[in-house]
Amino acid sequence: MRRPSWLVLLGLLGLLGLSGLSACSITPVQPWEKGLLAKKAMGFEADRLEAGFAEHIYTSKEAAAGGAGVGASGCGCN
Amino acid sequence: MAATESLGGRILAAALCLPGLAEPAHADGAPDQGLIAFKYLDYLDYQPGRERVRIRAPSLHLLLPLSSRWALGATAIHDAISGASPAFHTRAISQLQDERHAADLTLTRFFDDASLGLTAAYSNEADYRSRGLALSGSWSTEDRNRSWSAGLGLSKDVINPVTRLVVDEKKRVLDWTLGLTQVLNPRQVLQLTLGHNRARGYLNDPYKVSHERPRARHATRLLLRFNQHLEDGGQTLRWSLRHYQDSYGVRAQTAGLEFVQPLPWSFSLTPSLRLHNQRRAAFYVEVDPEAAPFATQPPEDWLQFSLDQRLSSFGARTLGLKLAWQPTPDWTADVKLEHYAQRGDWYLGSGSTGLAPFAARSWQVGLSRSF
Repeated sequence: MRRPSWLVLLGLLGLLGLSGLSACSITPVQPWEKGLLAKKAMGFEADRLEAGFAEHIYTSKEAAAGGAGVGASGCGCN
Repeated sequence: MAATESLGGRILAAALCLPGLAEPAHADGAPDQGLIAFKYLDYLDYQPGRERVRIRAPSLHLLLPLSSRWALGATAIHDAISGASPAFHTRAISQLQDERHAADLTLTRFFDDASLGLTAAYSNEADYRSRGLALSGSWSTEDRNRSWSAGLGLSKDVINPVTRLVVDEKKRVLDWTLGLTQVLNPRQVLQLTLGHNRARGYLNDPYKVSHERPRARHATRLLLRFNQHLEDGGQTLRWSLRHYQDSYGVRAQTAGLEFVQPLPWSFSLTPSLRLHNQRRAAFYVEVDPEAAPFATQPPEDWLQFSLDQRLSSFGARTLGLKLAWQPTPDWTADVKLEHYAQRGDWYLGSGSTGLAPFAARSWQVGLSRSF
């Protein structure tokens, strides 16, 4: 079995570290304080079609690909 | 969602819809509004003296709440592809024409603090067919300040190039992600996502010459995103950093920055910058100027080799500008322009040489309505 890459380990450590850090040192934000966070511009994938175009275009021009989601189907562009 | 009947309930529901407003599956309750969105893309890439690939792509997205616990999402896209592509490096450019039809359907079940989504996807071209399934889920803490997400996707592709170089070749990709989104304070939210995929089978481009990629590729990516609402003018800053590495030897760092500036009359303007730095694959064959106009021969003892520009060492930058208009809460219209450029000597280190400068421009227009 292949050993996991250092980047996988770093990512897992980062996720655990962020989780632990936020649990210890971040003051919880109350629901009534989230008005600005609820704005569309503050979303990570506010425009699904635009994100899809970007992913497709960069996959066809560069060797690195992938973002926050799992790709469900491929294309013959790379 | 009964609580959304009142104004207070609506504000609370909007606040609870965090983090990550429109990602495939979230533990934030089913959307209480449907959405239909249309977008049209016109894309052209080129090198000096020669246009390469042109794509015109209309696409449609539909989000339909089925009940307080279920939602259905669907996307369809049609790519009309024409132009020309190099057979090796940036030379021997030959004509191409193709059409791609792709669609996906996502069914999401929402629980009190979690969600689970199943996506089926299909893509078809004259020489390439892809079918995929993905399962994604998320879980939020009770105060909705932290959300874990996970995804698992599998795609099965069949490749039949028009040249009949290969017949019914297969490609399988298994992809997983694990992510954490954390609200830091009333103005900042952070997301970290780890992703890994394993591809096996025919990973070549059948239209390239001197091209023999390994039949397996393992890739890992770590993506950090940070959104910040600025206090004074109501602007939003969106940062992203990604590190990517794979078993081909490619290492890449990508940084993105978007600045959303609200304007009068419900307009907003968003300039954006993306910088990309990519180290070549271990089996990429650099251009030998003395071989021109013919293809550079790979070293005799190399079992895998490629003269594909996309696997070279280069730096790239994208400049973008998006204008959006939301005249009512339900309607949004936008137009976006982008320019992309790629150069070997922009690589932070010793970049690939002998390649023609490569660039692309695109524009897209979109219209969406909530209902």
